[in-house]
Amino acid sequence: MTRLLALLALIATPGFAADHPQVPRFIDETAASGLQSVYAGEWLFMVGGGVSTFDCNDDALPDMVLAGGEGLASLWQNRSEPAGGLRFERTAASGVEMTYVTGSYPVDIDSDGIGDLVVLRVGENVVLRGLGQCRFERANEAWGFDGGDGWSTALAATWEKGADWPTIAVGNYIDRFQEAFPWGSCTDNWLHRPQNLTGIGQRFAPPVALKPGYCALSMLFTDWDRSGTASLRVSNDREYYKGGQEQLWHLPPGGDPALYTEQEGWARLRIWGMGIASDDLDGDGYPEYYLTSMADNKLQGLVKPAEAAALIPKYADSAFKRGATAHMPYTGGDLRPSTAWHAQFGDVNNDGWADLFIAKGNVASMPDFAKDDPNNLLLQRPDGTFAESGDKAGIASMRQARGAQLVDLNRDGMLDLVVVNRNAGAEVWRNAGPSVGHGLGGHWLGLRLHQAGANPDAIGARIEVRAGGRTWTRETTLGGGHASGSLGVQHFGLGAADLAEVRVDWSDGSISDWAKVGAGAVWRIEKGRPPAPVN
Amino acid sequence: MLHKIVLAMVMALGLPGLARAAEGRQVMVQWYQLVLELVRHTPTYSPPVASRAFGYLGVTGYEVLASGRSEMQSLAGQLNGLQEVPQSGASLDEGLDEAVVMHAAMAQTVRNFFGNTGPSGQQAMERMDAVTAKQVVAGLAGDVVARSEAYGRSLAQHVWLWSLEDGGAVIDNMGFPRQYTLNPVPGHWRPTSSIALQQTPLLPGWGGNRPFAMPTGTACRLPPPPEYSEDPESEFYRQAMEVYDASRTLTEEQKTIARFWSDDPMLSPTPPGHWVSLVLSLIEQDALDGPQAADALMRVGVAVADGFIGCWAAKYEYDTIRPVTYIKAVIDPKWEPLLITPPFPEYPSGHSSQSGAAAEVLTAIFGENYRFGDPTHEEDGIATRQFGSFTEAAQEAAMSRLYGGIHFRAANERGLEQGACIGAYSVALRTLR
Repeated sequence: MTRLLALLALIATPGFAADHPQVPRFIDETAASGLQSVYAGEWLFMVGGGVSTFDCNDDALPDMVLAGGEGLASLWQNRSEPAGGLRFERTAASGVEMTYVTGSYPVDIDSDGIGDLVVLRVGENVVLRGLGQCRFERANEAWGFDGGDGWSTALAATWEKGADWPTIAVGNYIDRFQEAFPWGSCTDNWLHRPQNLTGIGQRFAPPVALKPGYCALSMLFTDWDRSGTASLRVSNDREYYKGGQEQLWHLPPGGDPALYTEQEGWARLRIWGMGIASDDLDGDGYPEYYLTSMADNKLQGLVKPAEAAALIPKYADSAFKRGATAHMPYTGGDLRPSTAWHAQFGDVNNDGWADLFIAKGNVASMPDFAKDDPNNLLLQRPDGTFAESGDKAGIASMRQARGAQLVDLNRDGMLDLVVVNRNAGAEVWRNAGPSVGHGLGGHWLGLRLHQAGANPDAIGARIEVRAGGRTWTRETTLGGGHASGSLGVQHFGLGAADLAEVRVDWSDGSISDWAKVGAGAVWRIEKGRPPAPVN
Repeated sequence: MLHKIVLAMVMALGLPGLARAAEGRQVMVQWYQLVLELVRHTPTYSPPVASRAFGYLGVTGYEVLASGRSEMQSLAGQLNGLQEVPQSGASLDEGLDEAVVMHAAMAQTVRNFFGNTGPSGQQAMERMDAVTAKQVVAGLAGDVVARSEAYGRSLAQHVWLWSLEDGGAVIDNMGFPRQYTLNPVPGHWRPTSSIALQQTPLLPGWGGNRPFAMPTGTACRLPPPPEYSEDPESEFYRQAMEVYDASRTLTEEQKTIARFWSDDPMLSPTPPGHWVSLVLSLIEQDALDGPQAADALMRVGVAVADGFIGCWAAKYEYDTIRPVTYIKAVIDPKWEPLLITPPFPEYPSGHSSQSGAAAEVLTAIFGENYRFGDPTHEEDGIATRQFGSFTEAAQEAAMSRLYGGIHFRAANERGLEQGACIGAYSVALRTLR
């Protein structure tokens, strides 16, 4: 009913035709922006290739760290003018310049208000403590972080109940020393939990092996059933596991992790799992999950049990029904099946319906899969179906894409796009708004959560936004995608609404009151305080 | 475990005192072990495509050994379209080394058939080639090595050129036709999956391929399945209710059986690879010599390849609806089978046809009541199953499809019968004198 009302409201609004989502115009500003980065390498770097975005110099613009594979990872400070063209400046000796980096995720580990970075590598993973002004220092030893010696390809972080530091899950891939016969050599994933040692303070405990590991390429802590405790979803690459499947882990606070079982409703699914995206697409308060693979991507929605029955983690795939399979190229003439990597929901046209970006690219030179495999931009219609618009929007690059981020890079309220490509230059596009002839763009809202003490960015909180007769629900997560993550502003498209109400379930039992916020601005939402615009 | 076995076998080749003839057998077996993985990790390798590769691989290995032995008879003239194989011009005693010939032939054949595999498969083929080549040439004169490699490659090339004309060499779009008209009459196949590629059925023309040993794809025709009906008194409805009822009362043993024989593509060596895997374990268990091992692998490869051709000819002749489609429409809209329903028509069961064919061959080789364990899926955490005969194993494979909810009884039973008929053509091949 909610969806129907919203649909009627939108149809009645000029510029919001139900069948034709407004196509945003993405302008390739890679060259003009100064961004030059390549994720380079052969077999060891056939996966990975991520980008993390977060504001590391406190100028309210997201900066970027790009993986370099055999080359150096690099940090790019965002010098874009507000609402202007994109500009980036490489920072020398920032501390991220390491080889064999597959990806990174920003997380404020020590809650000092300065973003830290967990760097995933082929070899030892590294935590970098943020020093401010986009400088970092190695903190493995100081923080007791055992970086191991694996082929790390996924990460997710959460704050368990009562914890001052995050719990970090790291997904690992093949035993890289079994290169002559890698199948069946998936290595354990790791769970880095914090501990508080008397006289020493906060550190990470030795990592717990999450057995069995099935060659994880994406992980996400998500409170899938709104129980108040996040579970860990792991998407695994069936190419290399034996007896494996997709996984969902219980993570009771302080308790041992345990896999959800068939008896608990977890159904066996075996795909070339490469990326996880999540958002509440249907407004029921529970997230849907998009899982990328090869030629067969899944859009999973929770199957609701009969009334009064407990929720079980049973999901139905609606990708085919909703036009979101993205299983083969839609432009360029290559008719072979696609290979999908990073996936991310975001409302790129601010019409109030979350859209879906998918990074595409051949693993290497697999002849049965598309070589010219364009990235997808699936625009959601009010009826929940998706319309492919990557070519019209201008992001249909044929490079071998891997990681990416949809993020507002110039604070104009429209989500821009950065994509890391394997053995080719990364690309960045500025979202210049609707294409000519498609009517006006919708309104938008940016929310930056903050709470005092631990977990300052409120990872695991649930944001509710209501406007124009609709309510959007989103949990703040850190993880998923393909070796790529973001810390910062949560972007909401509002469609025709220019005023919204916001409240936050802070995941500690407290829920803020509804508060009014105007569209077209970024608001700081701090626990216990009224919303304040961010200048 | 498997990769350790293969690496150990590679290392074993270098052991002093190992007979050169035994090395030829060992080289063949280790390439097969790699192929079982390549089948699993090469996306075009659906079960019919895999069976075809096992057929040609078997012929290649067999002809390598037959070319140097008077007690073995070439398959040229016995298999459809196979012309006289190249002659070596030298004997094993005088200037050829069997292990080098075998390695060159198998390496080339594996590359020919799995050139489209992924980066890890490419790397594995290269490593296997490099390591094995180094081992097998140790201590041999350069001219012997060169002559042997050239001859091995010429045999591989002969088989490769022969294969290109069988109708199955090109697999487009993973085997799913880009255009296909469904038969609108009730009772015919409908897509069962929400996977976009699988809205058309797999390889509808496969039944027209040139078989190996049986004369044509329709040499072992089947009677039609029970007539389609939604009448509760009909045989079709009764068989559907059997699948439905079974699914609701499955024992743990029946679930284990369903999953043991599930043999899903991309997650296992596929049904034909399952039988090849079994043969490899029997070769070791019974210490078969080179000719016996090559004979068994060739006959099973031919049988399963022909099994899929014959089965596919029947599948698209009858174009029968799957249980999941029928049961959801007629009996219970919420019903879900235990196994994933394969994306092609139901009758007969492919696993049953090719298992029946493989059992026919293996019974002829090893005997009626040969007891064995089948460890095919141990690495996937599925325990070895014990059988009292190959027929018993094939019957269990057939019944597993009913437990899994993907076939009616008629498809399984007629499939086994078709397989026995097809396998007899492989049994009739003249090989070891």
